[in-house]
Amino acid sequence: MNLSAAIYAIRWLVRDTFRQARASGITWVMLAVSGVCILFCLSVSVHGQLSLEHGDGPAEFLPANDPQADPEKAARAGVDVAGAEMTMAFGAVRLPLARDGRDGVRFIQLVLAAGVADALGVLLALIWTAGFLPTFLEPGAASVLLAKPAPRWSLLAGKYLGVLAFVGCQALVFVGGTWAALGLRTGVWDMAYLLCVPLLLLHFAVFFSFSALLAVCTRSTVVCVIGSLLFWLVCWGMNYGRHLVAAVPDVQQVPGSLTWLVEGGYWVLPKPADLGLILFDALDAGHHFGKGVALQNVQARGDFHPELSILSSLVFTVAMLYVAGRQFVTTDY
Amino acid sequence: MSATAVAEFEGVSKVYRVGLLRRSPVQAVADVTFRVEAGEVFGLLGPNRAGKTTLVKLLLALCRPTAGRVTRLGRPADDAATLARVGYVHENPAFPRYWDAAGLLEYYGAMTLLDEPTVRRRAGELLQRVGLSDRCREPINGFSKGMVQRLALAQALLNDPDLLVLDEPAEGLDLLGRRLVHEVIGERRKQGRTVILVSHALSDVAALCDRVAVLVGGRLNFLGPLASLTAGARPLEQAVQELYAGAVA
Repeated sequence: MNLSAAIYAIRWLVRDTFRQARASGITWVMLAVSGVCILFCLSVSVHGQLSLEHGDGPAEFLPANDPQADPEKAARAGVDVAGAEMTMAFGAVRLPLARDGRDGVRFIQLVLAAGVADALGVLLALIWTAGFLPTFLEPGAASVLLAKPAPRWSLLAGKYLGVLAFVGCQALVFVGGTWAALGLRTGVWDMAYLLCVPLLLLHFAVFFSFSALLAVCTRSTVVCVIGSLLFWLVCWGMNYGRHLVAAVPDVQQVPGSLTWLVEGGYWVLPKPADLGLILFDALDAGHHFGKGVALQNVQARGDFHPELSILSSLVFTVAMLYVAGRQFVTTDY
Repeated sequence: MSATAVAEFEGVSKVYRVGLLRRSPVQAVADVTFRVEAGEVFGLLGPNRAGKTTLVKLLLALCRPTAGRVTRLGRPADDAATLARVGYVHENPAFPRYWDAAGLLEYYGAMTLLDEPTVRRRAGELLQRVGLSDRCREPINGFSKGMVQRLALAQALLNDPDLLVLDEPAEGLDLLGRRLVHEVIGERRKQGRTVILVSHALSDVAALCDRVAVLVGGRLNFLGPLASLTAGARPLEQAVQELYAGAVA
């Protein structure tokens, strides 16, 4: 069995996964969600080019469309009058802009990336695709495939990569579509937003590897859905808990055993909160949202290492896939 | 082992571990020894839970023996390379329902590592052969059980196998479908290929098989031509029933 034959089999399994996704309706549901978000972005426009740069201090401004205010008097008193305006839903919703146009667009991108795609999107993708592997591994379906010369590991790898490719394409449609729509409407082409695609895919890949292990061990969609969601919660708790412990000003207050436990759990398990934090920083979201005292302290102390977070999450993924592969190769069908 | 043995079981036993912690042993096959020669149509008979399907799975390396040795086409069963020369119809095929018939054959052809032009050509021929060429672009979702069974036969023949393993191939088939199975097995015999047929249909086994193995409770209870059971004008059905009941042939 040479590598080219395995790649040939994997290519067909990727194709099989796309077909499965289309038949189950997941393709259309995800495209519909992306379509709604893209339409929303197409409905956004920014009028006026006011830039409110006040160094490090907060901007003091007065919306120009405030009926109670007297813009001329405010301007004479040294208060900026923000005449810029963002409209949404094709002008149905009008918002006075306390920022410049670029910042306003970035705020929308942040909500789409962190709120819609990273938090909700990854979890929904995990739920929606959780049934792919158990269905694939049903004895009546798997036995016929396993009686073919393609090696077992390539079957699992092909299906895993197929799901990853599918979610990657959906992420690309969502992020690329909203980025292009906002760019076309506002003239803001923020390349940092495109970093969301690999980050979202990494976030999904890490947790789908755990789902794959559950699928191989139990062949149950329900176990995969509940198990991967619970696991995500445990990982998020461990990740955030570690930062809380690390951020405590006086280390003596925290029992040593707890510190070891959370530190060990943090480095072994995937780090969804860290991936969110990396996205947060990539989008320069600190201008719009508070990061949380614990996370700020951890970063200030130099206890947050994005590269190591990503690397250890990848190591976890590889380990899960290896265990799943070993289990799959030795399982009786 | 002679060079002509296509399948060989030597003292093969298989114990499944079941239950929540997989602690309860279930003996599926116990100390089975026999061989299937090249060019034979070989029948596997036995009541339910006799171990017939387990033997097939051991031969195809879908599971591993607890003891003993299984060889396929002259190589150890866990050598996946020889699976390229094997066709298999599962007793209860559950194909991905989102493929159409032609697409499914191309998919399984790829898993058999056949090149795409060969697969396309063979798929067209086989869909014609099993009577599904007019429905080849319809989703399998709408297929009846008999149509799925015909498709299962087609996928098993994609690589023109030296060894065809049929586990209840006539299940759910109408009269024409059963005749199709008979014709396919007859063609394989003429070509000198080997067929292993697992079936509860005694008439099919009697009509098609050169030799049979009768398994009862995981043990081999009879091995030889079915006709030898009917010696002394004993009806075949009665003879097989006696074997199933555990009588020594």
